[in-house]
Amino acid sequence: MYSSPSTTAARAPRAANRRNAAGGRGTRSGPWAVVALSILIAAFSLLPLGYVAVMTGNAGWGTIEKLVFRPRVGELLLNTLGLVVITVPVCVVLGIAGAWLVERTRLRGHKIWAVLLAAPLAIPAFVNSYAWVSAVPSLGGLFGGVLISVLSYFPLVYIPVAAVLSRMDPALEQSGSSLGLGPWKVFFRVVLPQLRLASAGGALLVSLHLLAEYGAFAMIQFDTFTTAIYDQYRSTFNGAAANMLASVLVLFCLLLLLGESKVRGNARYARVGSGVQANPPRLALGRLEIPAQAGLAVLTALALGLPLFHVFRWLVVGGPGIWSGSALANAVLQTLVYGLVGALVTTVLAFPLAFLAVRHPGPVTKLLEGANYISSSMPGIVVALALVTISIHNMPGIYQTAVVLVAAYAMLFMPRALVNLRAGLAQAPKELDEAAQALGKPPLLAFMRVTLRLTAPAAAGGAALVFLGIMNELTATLLLAPNGTQTLATEFWSLSSEINYTGAAPYALLMILLSAPMTYLLFAESKKAAGQ
Amino acid sequence: MTASRRPAPAASTLPAFEPDADHVTDHLQITGARKSFGGTEVLKGVDLTVAQGRTTAIVGASGSGKTTLLRLIAGFEAPDAGSVSLDGVEVAGPSGWLPAHKRSVGYVAQDGALFPHLSVGQNIAFGLPLRGRAAASRVAELLEMVSMEPSYAKRKPSELSGGQQQRVALARALARQPELMLLDEPFSALDAGLRVATRRAVSKTLSDAGVTTILVTHDQAEALSFADQVAVMRDGRLAQIGSPFVVYTRPSDRATAEFLGDAVILEAWMEGSLALCSLGGIPVRRPPVQGRVHLMLRPEQIRISEGGKIRGHVVDTDYFGPETTVRIQLAPIAVDPLHPADPHQPVGGEVINIRHWNAMLARPGTELSLKVVGEGVVFPWDG
Repeated sequence: MYSSPSTTAARAPRAANRRNAAGGRGTRSGPWAVVALSILIAAFSLLPLGYVAVMTGNAGWGTIEKLVFRPRVGELLLNTLGLVVITVPVCVVLGIAGAWLVERTRLRGHKIWAVLLAAPLAIPAFVNSYAWVSAVPSLGGLFGGVLISVLSYFPLVYIPVAAVLSRMDPALEQSGSSLGLGPWKVFFRVVLPQLRLASAGGALLVSLHLLAEYGAFAMIQFDTFTTAIYDQYRSTFNGAAANMLASVLVLFCLLLLLGESKVRGNARYARVGSGVQANPPRLALGRLEIPAQAGLAVLTALALGLPLFHVFRWLVVGGPGIWSGSALANAVLQTLVYGLVGALVTTVLAFPLAFLAVRHPGPVTKLLEGANYISSSMPGIVVALALVTISIHNMPGIYQTAVVLVAAYAMLFMPRALVNLRAGLAQAPKELDEAAQALGKPPLLAFMRVTLRLTAPAAAGGAALVFLGIMNELTATLLLAPNGTQTLATEFWSLSSEINYTGAAPYALLMILLSAPMTYLLFAESKKAAGQ
Repeated sequence: MTASRRPAPAASTLPAFEPDADHVTDHLQITGARKSFGGTEVLKGVDLTVAQGRTTAIVGASGSGKTTLLRLIAGFEAPDAGSVSLDGVEVAGPSGWLPAHKRSVGYVAQDGALFPHLSVGQNIAFGLPLRGRAAASRVAELLEMVSMEPSYAKRKPSELSGGQQQRVALARALARQPELMLLDEPFSALDAGLRVATRRAVSKTLSDAGVTTILVTHDQAEALSFADQVAVMRDGRLAQIGSPFVVYTRPSDRATAEFLGDAVILEAWMEGSLALCSLGGIPVRRPPVQGRVHLMLRPEQIRISEGGKIRGHVVDTDYFGPETTVRIQLAPIAVDPLHPADPHQPVGGEVINIRHWNAMLARPGTELSLKVVGEGVVFPWDG
């Protein structure tokens, strides 16, 4: 009796080797549909990269040699590389120093400084450039490019580093102190190494922005690959030359991604644990307080004060007249429509990828995410070039329609939606869906009433960031927008290109005002996400 | 410990699970259920029957497949082979598959899985076809059923303690008056004091409602105290099914014995119905084998007793407050002069754990005499 299973088990007939008709139901069919959809979306987002690769491959070595190895390209290479090599380290130093002062010292007014240092992100680089040209009309060359880039992009390093600093486990620093290190040594040997991932990520973003930026550099007549591709395309519609420059640009982007992934390695953010965290220690600055305050004041004056001052100066000069006419209202309306439609389309396209990443992580998912990550790092000019050519050759019906422009927005800004959706979906575990099913709701209804509902706030946050990107997008919009399209960015651009600085000022102000709340959102989100 | 008062053949089951019991009372019947995930077979042929209105605990270590089995019953997964029947109707098997929302099965997940965006009242009413006042009064009724004030209906799940969340989850699952309730480790996230209180409350609510219940847990004490049928799951199979008393006192194999609680295992020689070991001759009911065996006793069966025949000395102790685990090395046993060459004689010297309430009694080195209460269980010798 001890060795035999109980009667309950023994009585049941053996059916072990019969395969069930419904064996695959319930768990497997869902993912495959989503996988198929995600592959389509990833393939779609890889179009620009594929385009550049195919064009370069078809060109043949002779053409490549002729179009790439020439003095003009050497000059562009020097400009672009110089820009990256000087701007990125300066941004990293400024970003880390600012973040450390704000998060780790008893600096007076550190709460206000924390916001002020992130605020320059609300001023699009080409508006910044416009303000600086107004202030110093002779500004140009590598110096001008570096100056404007640093002032526009250092928050991209500052924000993630500040987020990590504010959430870093104080226990590590305390361990450092208990091992006999003074406060400065603790900073350099314990704190700084932990900022590696955040600052590398920020540096990558700055570099990609530098490679992709058109308006800010065109305004001060500083030539980079992107401005050259644009000019080449606009002046001659010379596809081959523009394509070759684009493939060099893409090569740079890929090298940057590779470099960043090497720095990152398999490392993750240091602190994964949960629970309430003690506030990290703050250092008394003592005699350094005054130089620190002065430094931050100068930085803020240059990055925030000067652009705002000049925008307002032009507004005052222009008087009420610059606000009249239907052009401004029309631009606001078109920007809102493109922004909303683009944000919606991008969020919807990102959803299957995010769903797969959270609910079914695995090698296929990783590959799809990687593809999306690479393709979204392509500069706007490359995306635009690819879509122009592909639509002309393969789908003439949609050439120069809003469809192509929205597609470009989706390609450019999908990661913003993806990151937020992933975080949101992680808050809506599968168990909740199942609980709803056990309460009698069919799977689709359960999914809509629980998962979609719970993901909605994060989706809205992601959509807002996509909207922000679309609103300030210039390069792809200039190349792809249907005739007669006027967004805030393109109108601003055409007015300031005609040296109508007073007429452009209201557009600049509106872009800054619309960007401000979303910059704050980004800043607030980064603080929450740093622990993950 | 005394043996079951019922005759031996029925001792391993409760009357409701007798082979000759009426089939209609079988609420749930699982036959030969198999399930693999990515080439790993998680369920390797599971047979289980649960009678109407009874409480069954499926207990096993993590990874033993118990949660997968529960998910098959709930309808979140379909078995690769075998079948699941509810009230005699096949809901999964060769004839088809009924998804979760079409089965009359309630489900309470480990952390309650309350919808964070809904209030307590909205959570409870989620599966109800009622709206407005009718829904509100039903919600109040259900809250009362789980001993909570109607005012809780307006709160958000995040404003509740863990135990309250579990009770709301139960109320939500009870709202649709399911015939079968599945509980997936619902108490494991609660701290010790709350766990016992919540378990009692849930158990009472369910038995008052007369709902057939299946509890999945890795906690053997929880399984033994909650259920009137315990199914021990190991490595994708049910190793033993029976009443808590039977599976604890008469485990079918050594692994089950050690999983369900502390066990004293000694080498013994089975002769007739007596197992000869260092603790003397221990009665064994219906031993499966004779000769060399492992004998299993529960620590609480070994008592410290003035004048007991078995002697040993205390090696060390673990003090737990109300009771102390005492490690005792048994005294060597002198060779029986009548049978000096008997190779099966116990030699003594083993170290065993017993429990005692008086920590003072058991200073290391103290000489003690022991006696054994009740019967032992033997398992075939496996080297």
